[in-house]
Amino acid sequence: MNTEATLHLATKMVSEWATETQVSEPNRVDGLMATSEDLLNAVMMLRVKRLGYLAAITGIDLGLEAGEFEVLYHFCAGPVVITLRIRTPRETPSVPSLSHYIPSAEPFERELSEMFGVAVVGIPNPERLYLPDDWPEGVYPLRKDFERSALNEERDHEYDTTG
Amino acid sequence: MNTTQQAERFTIPIGPQHPALKEPGHFALTVDGEIVTSASVRLGYVHRGIEKAVEERTWVQNLYLLERVCGICSHIHATAYCLGVEQLAGVTAPPRAQAIREVVAELERIHSHMLWFGVAAHEAGFDTLFMYSWRDRETVMNLLEGLTGNRVNYSANVLGGVKFDIDSAQADAILSGLDFLEKRTHHYLDVVSTDLVFLRRTRGIGVMTRQQAEVLGAVGPTARASGVERDIRVEAPYAGYSEYPVSIVMDTTGDLEARFEVRIKELFESYRVIRRILRDTLPPGDLTTRVPRRIKENETVIRVEAPRGELFYFMKSNGTDMPERIRVRTPTICNMTSVIRLTVGHQLADVPMILVGIDPCFSCNDRTAVIQDSCGNRQHWTWEKLRQYGIEFYR
Repeated sequence: MNTEATLHLATKMVSEWATETQVSEPNRVDGLMATSEDLLNAVMMLRVKRLGYLAAITGIDLGLEAGEFEVLYHFCAGPVVITLRIRTPRETPSVPSLSHYIPSAEPFERELSEMFGVAVVGIPNPERLYLPDDWPEGVYPLRKDFERSALNEERDHEYDTTG
Repeated sequence: MNTTQQAERFTIPIGPQHPALKEPGHFALTVDGEIVTSASVRLGYVHRGIEKAVEERTWVQNLYLLERVCGICSHIHATAYCLGVEQLAGVTAPPRAQAIREVVAELERIHSHMLWFGVAAHEAGFDTLFMYSWRDRETVMNLLEGLTGNRVNYSANVLGGVKFDIDSAQADAILSGLDFLEKRTHHYLDVVSTDLVFLRRTRGIGVMTRQQAEVLGAVGPTARASGVERDIRVEAPYAGYSEYPVSIVMDTTGDLEARFEVRIKELFESYRVIRRILRDTLPPGDLTTRVPRRIKENETVIRVEAPRGELFYFMKSNGTDMPERIRVRTPTICNMTSVIRLTVGHQLADVPMILVGIDPCFSCNDRTAVIQDSCGNRQHWTWEKLRQYGIEFYR
């Protein structure tokens, strides 16, 4: 399948579930999903039609004013990148887990939840992937309002030299 | 170290130290006798918060930061970043710069594959091969040093182009270096495909079917060895690759032997394309183009083929001289989580080879431990001991 045909097919499939679809770059289709169900439906459709593989999940903090996080799911099919995005409020951020349909989503989802504090509903293994075991609860480093001082207080301790 | 006990089974924690890799990992393997029954991975032991740090630095400063994400494939990170910034700003680097980026990228691939080859041979207990391949790797390291001034972190890229030109003396040095390397690579291909002792460690071990590779999201040589046609240089050519294409190297068996052969055969493609660029047609023209200091609000996705597989960058600008968000997805995370599942059902002795087969630079791991819980006996194994165990097992 050439680039145009893939792009055309992807646009058609994404627009079925998205509230807004645009071809943001010559090789990219971008769809904004309104609800978790729409996102899962769109993901299922990509899986069923075997269009692309999940290349990455990106979290973005849209800032305190916007009051939302944006989560981007990038699927790559040849040269075409299909991005499904969903927004979630800062107070109770949550997205559905894709791990049951796409096993390779798990590490990306674990990273998303520890870096942004976005709850991933239904993830089989919710443990941290990158952050250390003694990282304080409720501190999410990739949020825009992350303060380093929160970290220093918790982690400035005397090293135990006795053992 | 986290140790869990299941009925009559031992959990074997491996790691987390391997200083050569940007992602040292801690692997917990559960074994039933000799057979691995489950495996999991924990990363982040050298997480440096680079994705956060880039948000506090300018576009120019970030070039130097992101080049240091990885010491082995530094050039490809800088290339991905520069291509992204150029795309966001709506400029294109001149063709000569793009060709030079490709030359350095392929030289880097040669050094990376040869480094891996030596490490893999070492893990198999074939230290002679390790020493020969690393001796030969010095040839390409010297070429990179002669070209860029550095053995690692070449710093060849600038936003909008490259820093240096390749003159005819340098081109001649590279070409004669490649002749030597090609001769040696033929020998290595011969060794990995005919040496019976070596084949016992690789043939039929860690088999990943095409379907598994697709479902688990493997990338790079690991995926290509399982028959998945995934090479960004071919699928979505960037930098100079549309002008000077490479062809995809594939295998279908999906075992360790296939991963060895795919990587070694890729070296021939690298030699061929570098020769083509340097012998015939390094395009004339400038080395750089101007990139604005502030970049308008925009976002883009850049994918490049690092030595280990697809490297994925998502970049978002906000109109200032600093990025809003940069997401770096390295190939190792894809391969690590897929291949770790392959260890299930294998002998414990095969684990070092299976893990090294994805090229995660595992050699420096020295905090491996086997802890035997059921009888209360605690037994710590170093990585060296596990490696030795694997070698003895196959003796």
